[in-house]
Amino acid sequence: MSKYLTIFKVSLAQEFAYKTNFIMWRVRNVLQVFLIFFLWDAVFSEPGTTLFGYDRTSILTYVFGLLIVRGLVLSVKSYEVAGDIGRGDLSNYLTKPLSYFKYWLTRDISSKTLNVVFAIGETIFLYLILKPPFYLQTNPVLLVSFLVTLIIAMLIYFILIFILGSISFWAPELAWGVGWLFITIIIQFMSGAMFPLDVFPQAIQDILRLTPFPYLIFFPIQVYLGQISISVIIKGILVSGIWLVVLWFIFNSVWKRGLRVYQSHGK
Amino acid sequence: MDKAIVVEKLIKNFEVNVKEKGLAGSISSLVKPKKKKVRALRGISFTIEEGELVGFIGPNGAGKTTTLKVLSGILYPTTGYTQVMGFDPWERSSEFLKQIALVMGQKNQLWWDLPAIDTLELNRQIYEISDRQYKENLDELVKLLEVEKILKIQVRRLSLGQRMRLELVAGLLHGPKIMFLDEPTVGLDVVAQAKIREFIADYNRRNKATVLLTSHNMSDLVDLVKRVIVIDKGEILFDGVFRELIENFAKKKTIKLYLSRECDYKKLELIGSIKKIDLPMIILSVPRETAAMAAAEILQNYPIADLTIEEEAIEDIIRKVFRGGLKKKSKKE
Repeated sequence: MSKYLTIFKVSLAQEFAYKTNFIMWRVRNVLQVFLIFFLWDAVFSEPGTTLFGYDRTSILTYVFGLLIVRGLVLSVKSYEVAGDIGRGDLSNYLTKPLSYFKYWLTRDISSKTLNVVFAIGETIFLYLILKPPFYLQTNPVLLVSFLVTLIIAMLIYFILIFILGSISFWAPELAWGVGWLFITIIIQFMSGAMFPLDVFPQAIQDILRLTPFPYLIFFPIQVYLGQISISVIIKGILVSGIWLVVLWFIFNSVWKRGLRVYQSHGK
Repeated sequence: MDKAIVVEKLIKNFEVNVKEKGLAGSISSLVKPKKKKVRALRGISFTIEEGELVGFIGPNGAGKTTTLKVLSGILYPTTGYTQVMGFDPWERSSEFLKQIALVMGQKNQLWWDLPAIDTLELNRQIYEISDRQYKENLDELVKLLEVEKILKIQVRRLSLGQRMRLELVAGLLHGPKIMFLDEPTVGLDVVAQAKIREFIADYNRRNKATVLLTSHNMSDLVDLVKRVIVIDKGEILFDGVFRELIENFAKKKTIKLYLSRECDYKKLELIGSIKKIDLPMIILSVPRETAAMAAAEILQNYPIADLTIEEEAIEDIIRKVFRGGLKKKSKKE
């Protein structure tokens, strides 16, 4: 266990190695929120406007929630896997008594910890500046459910990107291609990272609910906002939990096959 | 003595995508990918005793690195049998991994943005090295490789030679019983090369560690190994005593000299056969036994700016081994 604790610590030290980079990244985050905030604020400037069941308060909360949930769920370290395989850096890990999966999971948790700490600070800062009408959830059941859905979301996305990165075993040149970017944009689109998914017709929403994607962003925020009933929440947690297990098995099988064709390039 | 490494009829094939040049090639390979089978290892067999220091030599692309990667569990063998310290490398069990080290001259494990000491601490945890052992090993490695002053400097600020020495520290911290060294001196200057070589010999002696090291540079092995395995195109051409290889096939040495001013260099023909003239550089080939004498004579009679005596290129030796047909150990049944 202590090996992963050390990875956690070294990983934090690494994040701070490029201080300007880090600060610029955070500044970009804040600017992004300003942008989205003013966009939606303009749309709802007329008092009493509602759109797809969202009024000004809930859409702005959605946007703020988006900032935090997105930052947590979509910033996975498993993006590095494709490069590690393509460049042959994976070899460095394979010769060590270490789980490659747990290695990146640990680094992921470490970067997310950092992210949360800064995100909280930024949220307070933005809150004080923008004074948005913010919906504070106080129901403990919903808060706990929110936490559960958030953890499932982070794990699903981490494994999903891990699996996609493993495609590099068979097509190392694909790893950095447009295809890769395209896939992640589609995933983000279907997860509600761009806008709430209720804008879609009900039929499409129903289909999406059977895929793992809405559970990445949209579902956790909905839970936080208290927009859905407990039974829908339980159903959602069940479906996403099943997806988590399925993806875990897919990952294991893909990884095992991938290692057999691994060519350890780059030398 | 026990067998540390057993390799029998090891075959490794790679499937590679073939792409024609340019954008058109990229598109056509996307639509209709062409696969080509590359036979990296064509059924090699050898065994290595515990505590042996063996040189693995051959030109680029001969299969040296592939062999090391199969033996350290990175690559899955297509067919054949491999055993290292009684383990099947492919299973990559913790006990196995704790006993081996693979150090590659062109791959680094050190964290680029942090001082090396952080990577070392990390490796200590990963390999579960006890505090006492860690201190002992670290002290020894730091002293042998003279890296004390650079342990706390960000890795990316170091020179290649400094980094290579730290790579060795990181790779050997857990006191491996088997060391796979892939081109450990590549890109280093002569002094740094000598240091690394000396260290490898020392480590092998002190810890009775088995060492398999690859090189495409003959001089790398001269003072270091007793036994050498010559490999080319995935096949073993020679497996035996290094001196025998030299005596049988490397009968010449190469003298490379730079003239400091113009002169009549034609008479150099009398000392050895001129291989190449690219003024002010001249390359001569002389018999091995008289190489030193020839060099002395040249230094005395010609205006020399610089002169080195080198081993013949590995490619030349391989050509001779191939022609001579001396196969101490053939892979054929």
